This record gives sequence, C-alpha cells and structure tokens, in this order.
Amino acid sequence: MSGTGVGHGPEGPGGHGPGGPGGRGQGGPKGPGGRGPGAGEFEDFQLSQMEKETEEMLRVRYLNDENAVFERTGTGFLSLRVGEEFYPRVVVVRMFPFSDKDEFISIRTAEERSREIGIVEKMSQVSGETARMLEEQLTLRYFTPVIEKIIKIKDEYGFAYWNVVTDHGACNFTIRMGGNSVIHLSDVRILIMDIDENRFEIPDINRLTPAERKKLDLFL
Amino acid sequence: MVKMENNKLPRQVYTFLKEKGIREQDVLYTAQTDLNAEGEFADGYLVLTKDVLGIIQAPAAEDRVHSFRGSSLLKAELTEDTVYEEDAQEPDREEWSAQFVEIDRLERLWIENGVGCNLLVGKWEDREHCLTMFTHLQKRSLAKLTRGIEQMKRGGSPDFDAEADEYCPKCGRMYPDRARRVCPNCMDKHNVFFRVFRYFKPYRVNFVIMMATIAVTALLNLIWPYLNGNILYNKVLAKDPEFLSGIGLKPDSFVTALLMLVLAMVATKLVLLLFGILQGVLTARMVIGVVRDLKKDIFRKMGQLSISFYRSRQTGGLMTRVLSDANRITGFFVDDAPFFLVHALTMVATIVVMFAMNPWMALIAVVMLPILFGLNRYLRPRIWVMFGRRHRAERSMNSLINDNLTGSRVVKSFGQEKKEIQRFEGSSRRLKEAEIAISYRQNWFQLVYGGARELASMAIWALGVYFIMSGSGEEMQLGTLITFVGYVGQLQGPMNFFARIPNRWADSMNSAQRIFEIIDAVPEVLEAQKPRRLEQPEGDIELDNVTFGYEVNRPVLKDVNLHIPAGSMVGIVGRSGAGKTTLVNLISRMYDVQEGEIRIDGIPIRELSFNDLRRNVAMVSQETYIFMGTVAENIAYANQGADLKEIMRAAKLAGAHEFIMRMPDGYDTRIGSSGRELSGGERQRISIARAILANPKILILDEATASVDTETERVIQKALNYLVQGRTTISIAHRLSTLRDADYLVVIDHGKVTEQGTHQELFALKGTYYKLQELQTKALQLKGEIGG
Repeated sequence: MSGTGVGHGPEGPGGHGPGGPGGRGQGGPKGPGGRGPGAGEFEDFQLSQMEKETEEMLRVRYLNDENAVFERTGTGFLSLRVGEEFYPRVVVVRMFPFSDKDEFISIRTAEERSREIGIVEKMSQVSGETARMLEEQLTLRYFTPVIEKIIKIKDEYGFAYWNVVTDHGACNFTIRMGGNSVIHLSDVRILIMDIDENRFEIPDINRLTPAERKKLDLFL
Repeated sequence: MVKMENNKLPRQVYTFLKEKGIREQDVLYTAQTDLNAEGEFADGYLVLTKDVLGIIQAPAAEDRVHSFRGSSLLKAELTEDTVYEEDAQEPDREEWSAQFVEIDRLERLWIENGVGCNLLVGKWEDREHCLTMFTHLQKRSLAKLTRGIEQMKRGGSPDFDAEADEYCPKCGRMYPDRARRVCPNCMDKHNVFFRVFRYFKPYRVNFVIMMATIAVTALLNLIWPYLNGNILYNKVLAKDPEFLSGIGLKPDSFVTALLMLVLAMVATKLVLLLFGILQGVLTARMVIGVVRDLKKDIFRKMGQLSISFYRSRQTGGLMTRVLSDANRITGFFVDDAPFFLVHALTMVATIVVMFAMNPWMALIAVVMLPILFGLNRYLRPRIWVMFGRRHRAERSMNSLINDNLTGSRVVKSFGQEKKEIQRFEGSSRRLKEAEIAISYRQNWFQLVYGGARELASMAIWALGVYFIMSGSGEEMQLGTLITFVGYVGQLQGPMNFFARIPNRWADSMNSAQRIFEIIDAVPEVLEAQKPRRLEQPEGDIELDNVTFGYEVNRPVLKDVNLHIPAGSMVGIVGRSGAGKTTLVNLISRMYDVQEGEIRIDGIPIRELSFNDLRRNVAMVSQETYIFMGTVAENIAYANQGADLKEIMRAAKLAGAHEFIMRMPDGYDTRIGSSGRELSGGERQRISIARAILANPKILILDEATASVDTETERVIQKALNYLVQGRTTISIAHRLSTLRDADYLVVIDHGKVTEQGTHQELFALKGTYYKLQELQTKALQLKGEIGG
C-alpha cells in the first residue's frame, strides 16, 4: 500500500499535489511506525481513510438534472439525492457572490464544518423548479438591500448615519468612519457594511443623481 | 415598525398570545425578528415561556422604515426630509402566523450565520426546521435566547440579564465604544479641559508671562492702525498744530513729528516681533513639558494595567491613538487655547473703537461679519471632504506601490509588469483627479469668500469716501478712513479663529478624555493589600474547581481540578482553542479566576505578592519578544544583576552560544526592532536563555518550539532538558513528541480536563490522546514518504 496514497489522483489534476517528488523511498519499509503500542492494523485503516478524504477534496462533481434530485423538506430546507448518496439537508452557497451570483453554486452538507457535495455550474442549466428551490435557499443565506436613493448621510463623532431607500424599502443605518466600512468592488460598485455587518450595495454609483453622489463624496 | 420598550413586545402581541393560550406573566424572554422567509423586511416576535417557544410572523409592510443599530435614536433628525412616513397603523393580527414548539420536544436551537442575515434553526424529531430569519441587528438578542434555552435544557435556569445600554441617555447618540460609555457630544468638556490645564501648573510663571506678552501684542495690534492712519494722515500730514503742542513739540516742527512717528511705528513692529518670538519659545517649552508629563502618566499606567485591558483593545491602535491624541491636545493648547482670550478681546475692542470712530461704517462692518463667518463655516468642510478624498487616493496608491515592491518577484515571474503599470496608472489618475478637485474647490472658496470680503471692504471704502467728500461726518478724514479699514482687516484673524475653534475644541477634548480614561483605568488584577511572601518556594501547584472566561457567561475553563507536584513535568494537550494557554495564563495570574482557586505551595495566588509570583513563575511562549538592546541585555532581562559569566552560561544551556558568537559583535550585538534580524529559532533560544537566567521555580512552556523546524526543535529540546531540572514545569505542545519526557499528561477539551495520566495510561484509554497520537504519527509517516 505504500506509495499509492501519495501518487493518486484518478481524475489526474496533472501531477500536482502530494505525488510530486515521485518514487523515492516508496518501496522502503513502513515508516517510523512503532511509536507507542498498538499501531498495526489501525494504521492501514487511518491511511486509507486519509487517502479517501484527499481524493474527495480534489474531486469536482457537477450536479445537473440527470444526476441530482433536490426536494423540499417541508421544514424550510432542501434535501438532495445524488446516485446512492442521500443528504437530508444541504446548504446552498455562491462561489462568486459578486462576480457572478448565478454561476457556480456550491451544494454543501449542513454540518458546521461543511463539505462540498457538488457544484451547479449555471442556474440556467437546471430545470426551472430546481432553480427556484435553490433560489429559495440562497434567499435564506444572502441579504443585501440595494440602495436606490440616498436621502441623507450625516457624519459625526466617528460614525456616518445613512438614510436611504433600498429595493427592500427605506432604511436607516450606521457605519463606522475610517476603517473598511465602504468596500469598492469596482470603480462604480460599492458595498457598505454597517456596524453589525449588515450589508448594503450600490451597484453603479453613476446611476445616482449628482446630488446623491456628492453625499457619497466622503467615501469615494 | 412597532417600537419595543424595555424588551417588551407591543401590546397586540400579548393580546395575540392570550388568544393562543399564553399568559403574559409566563413569558420569560422575548425577542424580535425582522425578515420573513422571502427575504423581505417584516416584523416577527419570539416568545419564550418555560414550556414553549413561540414564533410569530407578521406580514411585510410596504411603507416600513427599517432602522439598524445606531440610527434609531437619531431618526428624528435624520428623517426630517424623508418622504416616508412611519407606519403608525395597528398591525392586523388576522394576518399573523404563529408556530409553537414545546421546549421538551426541541432537541437543539441554534443560529446559522449567513451573509447579511441569519437563520434560527431548531431540531426536533430528528429533522432540522427553519424557524425564522433576521438581520444582524437582532442577532445579539437571539443569541441570548438560544443560550437561555440551552441552559434550560441542561436543567438550569436561563439568565437573561439586560445588556449595558449603548446609547447616551441624554442625546440618544450611540457610544463610539460600547465598553467606554462616553458620549462625545455630552461629555463634560469643561471638566476635561481643566484637568488638562492642571498639567500646566508647574509652568505657571511661564504661563503668566506668556499671557502678558499676548495681551501686550493684542494692545499693540490695536494701536497700529491708529498710528498708521489717524496720526499719520490726520495729524502729521495734515499739519495739525494742536497735535504738536499736545505732544510738547514746537509749532511747525512737523518733520520731527514725522520722525518720531516713524520711530514709534518701527518700535511697535519690533516689540511685536520680539514678543512673538518670546511667545513661541515659552509655549514650546511649556507644551513639550506638558506632553511629556501626560505621556509619562499614560505609560506608567499602561505598565500597571492587566493583560485584559490590552486584550480588549488592539495594542497597535492603542499606541498610535495615545500618541496622536497627545499631539492633538498639544496642538490645541499651543495654537488655539492661548489665543482665545486675545482674539476675543481684540474683536470686542476693535468693534468698540470702530463704533467710536464712525457708527455707520462700523455697522456695515459688523453686519458683514456674521455673513463672512457663516460662509467660512459653510464652505470649509467641503474642502476638508476633498482633502479626505486625496488622503484615501494617496493611501491606496501607497499600498499599491508597497504591494508591487514586496511582491516584485511574483510580478516578474508571471511577467505581469505591464498590467501592474496599468494598475498604477489608474491609481495615480485617481490621485490626480483628487488633487485637481482640491485646487478647484480651493480656488472656488477663494473666489466666493474673498469676493465677499472684498465687497465688504469696498462698501466701507465707498461709504468712507462719501463721508469725506460730503463732509457731513466732520471727523471723517482720510486718516480716519485708513485706520478704520485697518481695523476691519484686523477682524479677519479672530473671525477665522472662531470659525474653526468649535471643531478643534471638541476634537481635542475628546482626545483628552480618551487619555484620561487610560490614566483612570483600574487594573483588574490587583495585588493583595497585605501580600504574602514566597521566598523559598517548592513549586507545588493546585487548581481547585477553576472556572474562567474572557467574557461573562462564556467559560473557557470549566471546573478544572489539577494537582502538579513540586518538581514534576506536566504536559498539556488539546485541540487549539481548548483552553490550554488560558490555563497557564491563570497560573501566572495574568487574569483572575472567576470561580475556584489556584494555590502555589498551598498559598492562594491572589494573596501572593506580585513580585514573588512573577519571580518564581516564568513563561517561554511561542511569541518571543526581543527588546531593543544587545543580546546580553535581552538575556539578562529578568535578572539585571547577572554577571557576564552567568549570561554566557545561560546562553550555552539554551543552545544559543554558538549562533551568538557567529554574530559580529558577539553578546554585544544589537538586536530588536532596530538591530539585527534573528530567525525564529534564534529568538526562541534567546528567550529560553532569558528564562534560565531568571531561574524560576515554576516554568511554563507554551508551545515553545512550535514555530521552529525539527532540527532546531531538537536543539531547543535539549536545552529545555537542562532547564526543567529541579523545577515544576508545565509544557503545552502541539507536537506530542515534544512531551516525551513529561511525567504525566493532561488532556483538555472544551475547557475541561478530560483525561490525565502517564503516556501509557492515556494510550490504553483510547480516548482523545490516543486519537491525536495516531493522527500525528500518520502525518509524520506521510511527510516522511513525501519528503523521502
């Protein structure tokens, strides 16, 4: 068994990874081993387990209507069946929430140290119903009102108080001056983080009126 | 949005609950939620009784204004020009939905963090249920709910103590720092001012002289336009005979009078100049002294404060803040405070004199004054905004340059020079634009403000000329007019001063307040009133039911019992975050335990003198610190009296001698932040030498070899073997191989001692230790194979 574990990579991401330096010492006697009693058979088990995990980590599995079946659990979540595997609840996460929010959706297990089950490459590639179900789950995870109108920004004693109208209605919120409360995603797109890390977005500052942009001057 | 008072829900919710059979007096805790499952803002309420958790959801209201933290109390001011009206109508209970979960049935309740929102998830009958959704605004109160339910499930009573208020009760502003609870708007600035003023006490003679020179300066400034205008034109040039006899000269000796006047004018200017220099020297001397005293006080205090003080604030930020605060206070006391009186006096005196000279013209000047003042106040902040923008552009360009310099190898190896140049061009273009915007604004300011000012002075000239020509005002002569215009010009200085003083005052008092807070802070770990000595310790350590957490209600260590006999070596093992470092921090009393007791040789450490405790407990940790100074000074840090031979011996024992001798100046090589760079292993060995020389009875090794390579570790390990002899040693290590020589091992998991015993015993137990050991052996093998 020595050696197989390190040189693997069935889908072959091209020789990289732990296999690198190649064969030296592969045939050699089994490692330092004998520290502590009761190594033996346990060892083999552990090593093959590790191999399996590494393999899983390197694998990219794309999910589509053919190989994956999503279903509503009736308790607000989604379950997933992929081939033999069944997951009573999965979590849906965007890989590129800013660059492209409808592509590369990662489907993950629900435990705290979650693991990727597979990837939905494009929302448009799955059936309407599946896309709707995934969309519902994304709603549970992402909440960023889009600022449509800036009514007032007042800065005072280290805070800036914003008074805006968003696509979710009127909002008042407070950010800390200085620091990184206002993030420039591009030249025209900004993300604003309030003191509790609630998020607000301005997708294109050029779509604001000149008067509104002037209020933003403090942060541009 | 319906307001909630004192953590109580709106009346209608209770009415609604009553219909569902829940009485108000049974409610233990309530919380609000603000999103519905469709991701729209909507009111929701959580109600907890001892039997049931109720989740109530109201439909989304269209005209709802959502107020996040910090903004709700300023709302009155903020929404004055909002078109949206507050939703005042009664919520319609018909549309409410409700879900009730019995606590007994509920297996677990937790919060899942999303991006900008969170989910409350409950698990029962082996299924996870999405209960409700909320923004980060509500997270704190919901976290309290889940904690409380956890406590209830464990059979305890939930504790829902109210949180400290985060808003100023006077004006409703949010405190910039929750822990400080100081409102920058309402704090007693006068008090702070006088307290800073007390630092000037040692310099009172200086101060009195300075005030006197300032007063003289002001007086001379007042006289100058008079000499320059009235006397020169109206008396001397106009050949006024009365004036000559008035100053005791013969008639017709106007040349003499002119000469005297010129001399007087020169003398006035000279005195002004001299006094200006004197003032500068006096203030500089005084202020430097005051700042030094302030910094000394701060530094002394910082030495006394407990580690927890630094933990709650970022040390780097703290330092720059203290320094910049001190500078800001100085700035205020040098450039502003001394001139307050002068400017005020000058202003009043000038206006009085002006009215005495010609009330009509004075009236114009005085009317113009507030207009100019207002313009100044209104326009200047706009320029500041531009300066802020330039600052940000500069900063982003600097970090780009820094990025490129430090990453130059990567840039080159991927051949991305062109792209980097483009990036730089973009950044430099933004800076250019910011610069242009500033000069544009400044010119504009000059145009508007300067124009207004010129207009005012032109109006005065015109009126003056009119008075002279019409001869109506008998006293109005050319000289008077020139004097008058001189006075108008003299109002400029005070006006600018008063336009900027309010901001400077608020800023500097804020700075002073922050500094005084540090000076006034009380150390959390205090030495006992009558400390007990520990001169010849054995090194026996006992932990008795120790419970501790950095935050209340979040224990890091729970009921830890441990006995470490004198002279033994104990290894502490556990996952990261299990509480290992916390445990040793408690033994050296960086923090005080919340419950239980720690004893050394049977004496509670709370009763020990700091000196004895710290002398007998030394720590070598992963973060080594090298102070500015020589190698020898660094080794002798804890034992200043050590002679050269002892220092050398300690270095030898620590395996540091050889590399020290390879450095050009041997033990006298300067190291630390300004000196020679040391590698991780070298630093580590110097700190071990430091600990050897300190010769403590109890030695704590906190991951002392974690950051060095295997070979260096072996050397250090060897060095440590010398060090541990005859001492009680507590060693924390990630690599279990480091703990080979431990007499016994303690496994800490989630703040509890889960296993303890010798290596063999623990291995036989097949618990956490066994697992860790196995994993590490495997990892080592794997590494061997890869590397091999």
